[in-house]
Amino acid sequence: MARFQIKIFGSEAVVFDTDSGDTHYLPPLALALLQTYREHSRPSHDDILRVLTERLVFEPGLPPKAQVNQTLDELRKLELIGRQ
Amino acid sequence: MKLLQLSSADLRAHLHGPGIWLRTGPFSLRVQSRVESVAEGLTELYGQFEVRSASESFADFHIALNPPSHLRRWFRPQVNFSFDGVEPFKPLPLDQAYPMLEWGLNWCISSHAHHYLIIHAAVVEKNGLAAILPAPPGSGKSTLTAGLVLSGWRLLSDELTLIDRKTGLIHALPRPVSLKNESIPLIRAFSPSVFINRASHDTAKGTVAHMRPPKESVRRQHEAARPGWVIFPKWTAGATTVMEPRSKAQTFMFLAQNAFNYSHLGAEGFRVGTQLIEQAACYDFQYSRLEEAIAAFDRLAAASPTEKVES
Repeated sequence: MARFQIKIFGSEAVVFDTDSGDTHYLPPLALALLQTYREHSRPSHDDILRVLTERLVFEPGLPPKAQVNQTLDELRKLELIGRQ
Repeated sequence: MKLLQLSSADLRAHLHGPGIWLRTGPFSLRVQSRVESVAEGLTELYGQFEVRSASESFADFHIALNPPSHLRRWFRPQVNFSFDGVEPFKPLPLDQAYPMLEWGLNWCISSHAHHYLIIHAAVVEKNGLAAILPAPPGSGKSTLTAGLVLSGWRLLSDELTLIDRKTGLIHALPRPVSLKNESIPLIRAFSPSVFINRASHDTAKGTVAHMRPPKESVRRQHEAARPGWVIFPKWTAGATTVMEPRSKAQTFMFLAQNAFNYSHLGAEGFRVGTQLIEQAACYDFQYSRLEEAIAAFDRLAAASPTEKVES
Protein backbone atom coordinates (compact mmCIF):
# COMPACT_ATOMS: atom_id res chain seq x y z
CA MET A 1 0.00 0.00 0.00
CA ALA A 2 1.26 3.48 -0.86
CA ARG A 3 2.18 5.61 2.14
CA PHE A 4 -0.19 8.43 1.15
CA GLN A 5 -3.81 7.97 0.18
CA ILE A 6 -5.20 11.03 -1.54
CA LYS A 7 -8.80 11.87 -2.29
CA ILE A 8 -9.43 14.91 -4.47
CA PHE A 9 -12.66 16.88 -4.11
CA GLY A 10 -12.73 19.53 -6.85
CA SER A 11 -9.81 21.92 -6.27
CA GLU A 12 -9.09 20.60 -2.74
CA ALA A 13 -7.98 17.26 -1.35
CA VAL A 14 -7.56 15.23 1.81
CA VAL A 15 -4.57 12.99 2.42
CA PHE A 16 -4.17 10.06 4.78
CA ASP A 17 -0.61 9.23 5.87
CA THR A 18 -0.54 5.49 6.58
CA ASP A 19 2.76 5.84 8.46
CA SER A 20 1.59 8.39 11.02
CA GLY A 21 -2.19 7.81 10.86
CA ASP A 22 -2.62 11.57 10.37
CA THR A 23 -5.08 13.12 7.95
CA HIS A 24 -4.34 16.42 6.22
CA TYR A 25 -6.42 18.92 4.32
CA LEU A 26 -4.88 20.31 1.13
CA PRO A 27 -6.27 23.68 0.03
CA PRO A 28 -6.25 24.51 -3.71
CA LEU A 29 -2.68 25.86 -3.81
CA ALA A 30 -1.24 22.84 -1.98
CA LEU A 31 -3.09 20.41 -4.23
CA ALA A 32 -2.04 22.28 -7.38
CA LEU A 33 1.60 22.25 -6.20
CA LEU A 34 1.46 18.56 -5.38
CA GLN A 35 -0.01 17.80 -8.79
CA THR A 36 2.66 19.93 -10.49
CA TYR A 37 5.38 17.98 -8.68
CA ARG A 38 3.79 14.72 -9.75
CA GLU A 39 3.46 15.84 -13.38
CA HIS A 40 7.01 17.27 -13.63
CA SER A 41 9.68 15.33 -11.80
CA ARG A 42 11.85 18.36 -10.92
CA PRO A 43 9.94 21.52 -11.81
CA SER A 44 11.80 24.82 -11.74
CA HIS A 45 10.41 27.68 -9.70
CA ASP A 46 9.38 29.43 -12.92
CA ASP A 47 7.59 26.30 -14.15
CA ILE A 48 5.69 26.14 -10.88
CA LEU A 49 4.66 29.79 -10.94
CA ARG A 50 3.57 29.54 -14.57
CA VAL A 51 1.44 26.44 -13.97
CA LEU A 52 -0.11 27.79 -10.79
CA THR A 53 -0.85 31.19 -12.31
CA GLU A 54 -2.73 29.38 -15.08
CA ARG A 55 -4.74 27.51 -12.47
CA LEU A 56 -5.55 30.71 -10.53
CA VAL A 57 -4.98 29.16 -7.13
CA PHE A 58 -3.40 32.10 -5.32
CA GLU A 59 -5.08 33.73 -2.33
CA PRO A 60 -5.09 37.51 -1.90
CA GLY A 61 -2.43 38.69 0.54
CA LEU A 62 1.10 37.29 0.26
CA PRO A 63 2.82 37.58 -3.17
CA PRO A 64 2.47 34.37 -5.25
CA LYS A 65 6.14 33.45 -4.83
CA ALA A 66 5.91 33.67 -1.05
CA GLN A 67 2.70 31.63 -1.06
CA VAL A 68 4.40 28.97 -3.16
CA ASN A 69 7.45 28.83 -0.88
CA GLN A 70 5.35 28.63 2.25
CA THR A 71 3.14 25.88 0.84
CA LEU A 72 6.14 23.93 -0.48
CA ASP A 73 7.63 24.02 3.02
CA GLU A 74 4.41 22.62 4.43
CA LEU A 75 4.26 19.85 1.82
CA ARG A 76 7.89 18.95 2.55
CA LYS A 77 7.19 18.83 6.29
CA LEU A 78 4.37 16.37 5.59
CA GLU A 79 6.81 14.49 3.30
CA LEU A 80 4.30 14.71 0.46
CA ILE A 81 7.17 16.04 -1.71
CA GLY A 82 10.88 15.35 -1.27
CA ARG A 83 13.38 17.81 0.19
CA GLN A 84 15.58 19.60 -2.36
CA MET B 1 -42.94 -9.22 21.47
CA LYS B 2 -42.94 -5.47 22.01
CA LEU B 3 -42.00 -3.91 25.32
CA LEU B 4 -45.44 -2.28 25.64
CA GLN B 5 -46.98 -5.76 25.70
CA LEU B 6 -45.21 -6.56 28.96
CA SER B 7 -47.12 -5.75 32.11
CA SER B 8 -45.58 -3.23 34.44
CA ALA B 9 -45.02 -5.98 37.01
CA ASP B 10 -43.37 -8.30 34.47
CA LEU B 11 -41.06 -5.56 33.17
CA ARG B 12 -39.92 -4.73 36.69
CA ALA B 13 -39.51 -8.40 37.57
CA HIS B 14 -37.21 -8.82 34.56
CA LEU B 15 -35.29 -5.61 35.26
CA HIS B 16 -34.77 -6.50 38.93
CA GLY B 17 -33.76 -10.05 38.05
CA PRO B 18 -31.92 -11.32 34.96
CA GLY B 19 -32.61 -8.14 32.97
CA ILE B 20 -34.64 -7.39 29.88
CA TRP B 21 -33.36 -8.11 26.35
CA LEU B 22 -34.02 -5.24 23.98
CA ARG B 23 -33.20 -4.66 20.31
CA THR B 24 -32.32 -1.21 19.01
CA GLY B 25 -31.24 -0.97 15.39
CA PRO B 26 -28.48 -3.51 14.72
CA PHE B 27 -27.70 -3.97 18.42
CA SER B 28 -29.20 -6.00 21.21
CA LEU B 29 -28.76 -5.17 24.86
CA ARG B 30 -29.58 -6.66 28.20
CA VAL B 31 -30.59 -4.08 30.76
CA GLN B 32 -30.77 -4.86 34.46
CA SER B 33 -31.86 -2.21 36.97
CA ARG B 34 -33.53 -1.75 40.33
CA VAL B 35 -34.00 1.98 39.68
CA GLU B 36 -37.64 2.94 39.20
CA SER B 37 -36.93 5.81 36.77
CA VAL B 38 -35.17 3.36 34.42
CA ALA B 39 -38.25 1.12 34.32
CA GLU B 40 -40.39 4.21 33.84
CA GLY B 41 -38.19 5.57 31.03
CA LEU B 42 -38.11 2.25 29.19
CA THR B 43 -41.90 1.92 29.47
CA GLU B 44 -42.52 5.43 28.20
CA LEU B 45 -39.91 5.56 25.45
CA TYR B 46 -39.17 2.01 24.26
CA GLY B 47 -42.73 0.63 24.04
CA GLN B 48 -42.43 -0.16 20.31
CA PHE B 49 -39.12 -2.01 20.64
CA GLU B 50 -38.72 -5.77 20.49
CA VAL B 51 -38.03 -7.48 23.83
CA ARG B 52 -37.22 -11.05 24.78
CA SER B 53 -36.31 -13.00 27.84
CA ALA B 54 -32.75 -12.02 28.69
CA SER B 55 -31.83 -15.57 29.71
CA GLU B 56 -32.70 -16.96 26.26
CA SER B 57 -31.07 -14.46 23.91
CA PHE B 58 -27.57 -13.28 23.09
CA ALA B 59 -26.97 -9.57 23.75
CA ASP B 60 -24.21 -7.34 22.37
CA PHE B 61 -24.14 -5.18 25.49
CA HIS B 62 -24.88 -6.16 29.08
CA ILE B 63 -25.81 -3.04 31.00
CA ALA B 64 -26.84 -2.45 34.59
CA LEU B 65 -27.91 0.72 36.37
CA ASN B 66 -28.11 0.40 40.12
CA PRO B 67 -27.48 2.45 43.25
CA PRO B 68 -24.05 1.97 44.86
CA SER B 69 -24.19 -0.51 47.70
CA HIS B 70 -22.70 1.78 50.36
CA LEU B 71 -24.28 4.55 52.46
CA ARG B 72 -24.68 6.87 49.47
CA ARG B 73 -27.87 5.03 48.66
CA TRP B 74 -29.44 6.93 51.57
CA PHE B 75 -27.55 10.23 51.51
CA ARG B 76 -27.84 12.04 48.16
CA PRO B 77 -28.61 8.79 46.34
CA GLN B 78 -26.65 7.98 43.23
CA VAL B 79 -26.68 5.55 40.33
CA ASN B 80 -23.86 3.55 38.76
CA PHE B 81 -23.68 2.46 35.14
CA SER B 82 -21.97 -0.86 34.52
CA PHE B 83 -21.07 -2.54 31.26
CA ASP B 84 -20.11 -6.23 31.38
CA GLY B 85 -19.61 -5.76 35.12
CA VAL B 86 -17.21 -2.81 34.73
CA GLU B 87 -18.15 0.73 35.81
CA PRO B 88 -16.58 3.07 33.23
CA PHE B 89 -18.06 6.28 34.68
CA LYS B 90 -18.36 8.00 38.01
CA PRO B 91 -21.82 7.63 39.59
CA LEU B 92 -24.43 10.30 38.90
CA PRO B 93 -27.31 11.57 41.03
CA LEU B 94 -30.16 9.05 41.04
CA ASP B 95 -32.40 11.57 39.26
CA GLN B 96 -30.13 11.19 36.20
CA ALA B 97 -30.46 7.40 35.96
CA TYR B 98 -32.46 7.41 32.73
CA PRO B 99 -30.22 9.87 30.84
CA MET B 100 -27.27 7.85 32.13
CA LEU B 101 -28.72 4.75 30.44
CA GLU B 102 -28.87 6.62 27.11
CA TRP B 103 -25.39 8.17 27.49
CA GLY B 104 -23.92 4.87 28.61
CA LEU B 105 -25.45 3.05 25.67
CA ASN B 106 -24.00 5.67 23.30
CA TRP B 107 -20.62 5.01 24.87
CA CYS B 108 -20.99 1.22 24.53
CA ILE B 109 -21.81 1.51 20.83
CA SER B 110 -19.28 4.20 19.94
CA SER B 111 -16.41 2.44 21.69
CA HIS B 112 -17.14 -1.12 20.52
CA ALA B 113 -19.04 -1.25 17.22
CA HIS B 114 -16.04 -0.88 14.94
CA HIS B 115 -17.69 -2.62 12.02
CA TYR B 116 -19.14 0.86 11.46
CA LEU B 117 -17.46 4.19 11.00
CA ILE B 118 -19.32 6.09 13.74
CA ILE B 119 -19.71 9.84 13.46
CA HIS B 120 -21.02 12.06 16.22
CA ALA B 121 -23.98 13.40 14.26
CA ALA B 122 -27.74 13.13 14.01
CA VAL B 123 -29.10 11.48 10.89
CA VAL B 124 -32.57 11.51 9.35
CA GLU B 125 -33.93 10.04 6.12
CA LYS B 126 -36.44 10.81 3.40
CA ASN B 127 -37.02 8.99 0.10
CA GLY B 128 -34.15 6.60 0.89
CA LEU B 129 -31.55 9.34 1.29
CA ALA B 130 -29.95 10.21 4.62
CA ALA B 131 -29.19 13.73 5.82
CA ILE B 132 -26.30 13.70 8.27
CA LEU B 133 -26.33 16.61 10.73
CA PRO B 134 -22.97 17.01 12.45
CA ALA B 135 -22.68 20.06 14.63
CA PRO B 136 -21.16 21.26 17.88
CA PRO B 137 -23.39 21.57 20.99
CA GLY B 138 -25.67 24.59 20.91
CA SER B 139 -26.13 24.52 17.15
CA GLY B 140 -29.75 23.39 17.39
CA LYS B 141 -29.01 19.91 15.99
CA SER B 142 -31.31 17.99 18.35
CA THR B 143 -34.14 20.51 18.02
CA LEU B 144 -33.93 20.36 14.24
CA THR B 145 -33.75 16.56 14.31
CA ALA B 146 -36.84 16.37 16.53
CA GLY B 147 -38.69 18.84 14.30
CA LEU B 148 -37.80 16.88 11.16
CA VAL B 149 -38.85 13.49 12.52
CA LEU B 150 -42.13 14.98 13.73
CA SER B 151 -42.68 16.26 10.17
CA GLY B 152 -42.31 13.13 8.05
CA TRP B 153 -38.56 12.48 8.07
CA ARG B 154 -37.45 9.12 9.45
CA LEU B 155 -35.24 9.11 12.52
CA LEU B 156 -32.06 7.09 12.00
CA SER B 157 -30.30 8.50 15.07
CA ASP B 158 -30.09 11.73 17.03
CA GLU B 159 -26.50 11.12 18.11
CA LEU B 160 -24.61 8.34 16.28
CA THR B 161 -24.31 8.04 12.51
CA LEU B 162 -23.45 4.40 11.77
CA ILE B 163 -21.78 3.95 8.38
CA ASP B 164 -21.49 0.33 7.29
CA ARG B 165 -17.86 -0.23 6.28
CA LYS B 166 -18.79 -2.84 3.65
CA THR B 167 -21.70 -1.13 1.92
CA GLY B 168 -21.33 2.55 2.81
CA LEU B 169 -25.00 2.53 3.82
CA ILE B 170 -26.19 4.28 6.96
CA HIS B 171 -27.85 2.03 9.51
CA ALA B 172 -30.69 3.16 11.74
CA LEU B 173 -30.52 3.40 15.51
CA PRO B 174 -33.82 5.15 16.25
CA ARG B 175 -33.60 5.60 20.00
CA PRO B 176 -35.21 8.42 22.02
CA VAL B 177 -34.15 11.91 20.95
CA SER B 178 -32.25 13.79 23.63
CA LEU B 179 -33.58 17.33 24.12
CA LYS B 180 -31.86 19.94 26.22
CA ASN B 181 -32.92 23.11 27.99
CA GLU B 182 -34.96 25.48 25.75
CA SER B 183 -35.53 22.84 23.10
CA ILE B 184 -37.82 20.88 25.48
CA PRO B 185 -40.65 23.47 25.61
CA LEU B 186 -39.96 24.41 22.00
CA ILE B 187 -40.63 20.87 20.76
CA ARG B 188 -43.65 20.51 23.08
CA ALA B 189 -45.09 23.68 21.50
CA PHE B 190 -44.18 22.54 17.98
CA SER B 191 -46.00 19.22 18.40
CA PRO B 192 -48.32 19.14 21.45
CA SER B 193 -49.07 15.42 20.97
CA VAL B 194 -45.41 14.38 21.19
CA PHE B 195 -44.33 12.40 24.25
CA ILE B 196 -41.33 13.81 26.12
CA ASN B 197 -40.42 12.15 29.39
CA ARG B 198 -39.77 13.72 32.78
CA ALA B 199 -36.79 16.09 32.66
CA SER B 200 -33.59 15.50 34.63
CA HIS B 201 -32.16 18.75 35.94
CA ASP B 202 -28.61 19.91 36.68
CA THR B 203 -26.96 17.31 34.46
CA ALA B 204 -23.62 18.03 32.76
CA LYS B 205 -25.71 19.15 29.76
CA GLY B 206 -28.23 21.19 31.76
CA THR B 207 -31.86 20.04 31.83
CA VAL B 208 -32.32 16.93 29.71
CA ALA B 209 -35.43 15.04 28.59
CA HIS B 210 -36.02 12.43 25.92
CA MET B 211 -38.57 12.40 23.12
CA ARG B 212 -40.18 9.09 22.18
CA PRO B 213 -39.01 8.03 18.70
CA PRO B 214 -41.78 7.94 16.07
CA LYS B 215 -43.43 4.52 15.74
CA GLU B 216 -42.70 4.40 12.00
CA SER B 217 -38.98 5.03 12.57
CA VAL B 218 -38.85 2.14 15.05
CA ARG B 219 -40.81 -0.13 12.69
CA ARG B 220 -38.28 0.58 9.90
CA GLN B 221 -35.22 0.36 12.12
CA HIS B 222 -33.64 -2.40 10.00
CA GLU B 223 -33.88 -0.33 6.82
CA ALA B 224 -30.59 1.33 5.83
CA ALA B 225 -30.26 4.53 3.78
CA ARG B 226 -27.81 5.91 1.25
CA PRO B 227 -25.88 9.05 2.19
CA GLY B 228 -27.59 12.02 0.55
CA TRP B 229 -26.43 15.14 2.32
CA VAL B 230 -24.13 16.35 5.06
CA ILE B 231 -25.69 19.49 6.50
CA PHE B 232 -24.19 21.63 9.27
CA PRO B 233 -27.11 23.32 11.04
CA LYS B 234 -26.61 26.49 13.00
CA TRP B 235 -29.46 28.07 14.91
CA THR B 236 -29.07 31.86 15.16
CA ALA B 237 -31.74 34.06 16.74
CA GLY B 238 -33.56 36.10 14.09
CA ALA B 239 -31.53 34.68 11.19
CA THR B 240 -33.05 34.06 7.80
CA THR B 241 -33.03 30.49 6.51
CA VAL B 242 -30.00 29.97 4.28
CA MET B 243 -28.55 26.76 2.89
CA GLU B 244 -25.20 27.16 1.12
CA PRO B 245 -22.84 24.59 -0.40
CA ARG B 246 -19.67 23.96 1.59
CA SER B 247 -16.29 22.42 0.78
CA LYS B 248 -16.36 18.63 0.61
CA ALA B 249 -12.72 18.33 1.70
CA GLN B 250 -13.32 20.50 4.77
CA THR B 251 -16.52 18.59 5.53
CA PHE B 252 -14.53 15.36 5.46
CA MET B 253 -11.98 16.83 7.89
CA PHE B 254 -14.74 17.82 10.30
CA LEU B 255 -16.34 14.38 10.14
CA ALA B 256 -12.99 12.67 10.67
CA GLN B 257 -12.36 14.80 13.76
CA ASN B 258 -15.85 14.08 15.05
CA ALA B 259 -15.88 10.35 14.37
CA PHE B 260 -15.55 8.16 17.44
CA ASN B 261 -13.42 5.52 15.77
CA TYR B 262 -11.75 7.18 12.74
CA SER B 263 -8.29 6.86 14.29
CA HIS B 264 -8.98 3.30 15.33
CA LEU B 265 -9.94 2.34 11.76
CA GLY B 266 -6.95 4.08 10.13
CA ALA B 267 -6.85 3.85 6.31
CA GLU B 268 -10.19 2.03 6.33
CA GLY B 269 -11.81 4.99 8.11
CA PHE B 270 -10.34 7.28 5.44
CA ARG B 271 -11.74 5.09 2.66
CA VAL B 272 -15.23 4.85 4.17
CA GLY B 273 -15.35 8.56 5.07
CA THR B 274 -14.21 9.81 1.66
CA GLN B 275 -16.63 7.45 -0.08
CA LEU B 276 -19.43 8.93 2.03
CA ILE B 277 -18.47 12.50 1.17
CA GLU B 278 -18.20 11.63 -2.51
CA GLN B 279 -21.85 10.56 -2.52
CA ALA B 280 -23.21 13.41 -0.40
CA ALA B 281 -23.96 17.04 -1.15
CA CYS B 282 -22.51 19.22 1.64
CA TYR B 283 -24.14 22.36 3.02
CA ASP B 284 -23.96 24.96 5.76
CA PHE B 285 -27.44 25.69 7.04
CA GLN B 286 -28.47 28.69 9.09
CA TYR B 287 -31.95 29.01 10.55
CA SER B 288 -34.00 30.55 13.32
CA ARG B 289 -37.53 29.27 12.63
CA LEU B 290 -38.05 25.51 12.86
CA GLU B 291 -40.94 25.47 10.36
CA GLU B 292 -38.80 27.24 7.74
CA ALA B 293 -35.92 24.87 8.40
CA ILE B 294 -38.15 21.84 7.83
CA ALA B 295 -39.50 23.36 4.62
CA ALA B 296 -35.92 23.85 3.38
CA PHE B 297 -35.12 20.20 4.09
CA ASP B 298 -38.32 19.11 2.34
CA ARG B 299 -37.34 21.10 -0.76
CA LEU B 300 -33.96 19.42 -0.75
CA ALA B 301 -35.55 15.96 -0.53
CA ALA B 302 -38.11 16.80 -3.21
CA ALA B 303 -35.33 17.79 -5.61
CA SER B 304 -33.55 14.43 -5.23
CA PRO B 305 -34.61 11.17 -6.87
CA THR B 306 -36.07 8.54 -4.55
CA GLU B 307 -33.56 5.84 -3.58
CA LYS B 308 -34.49 2.25 -2.89
CA VAL B 309 -32.16 0.44 -0.51
CA GLU B 310 -32.27 -3.29 0.13
CA SER B 311 -31.76 -3.89 3.85
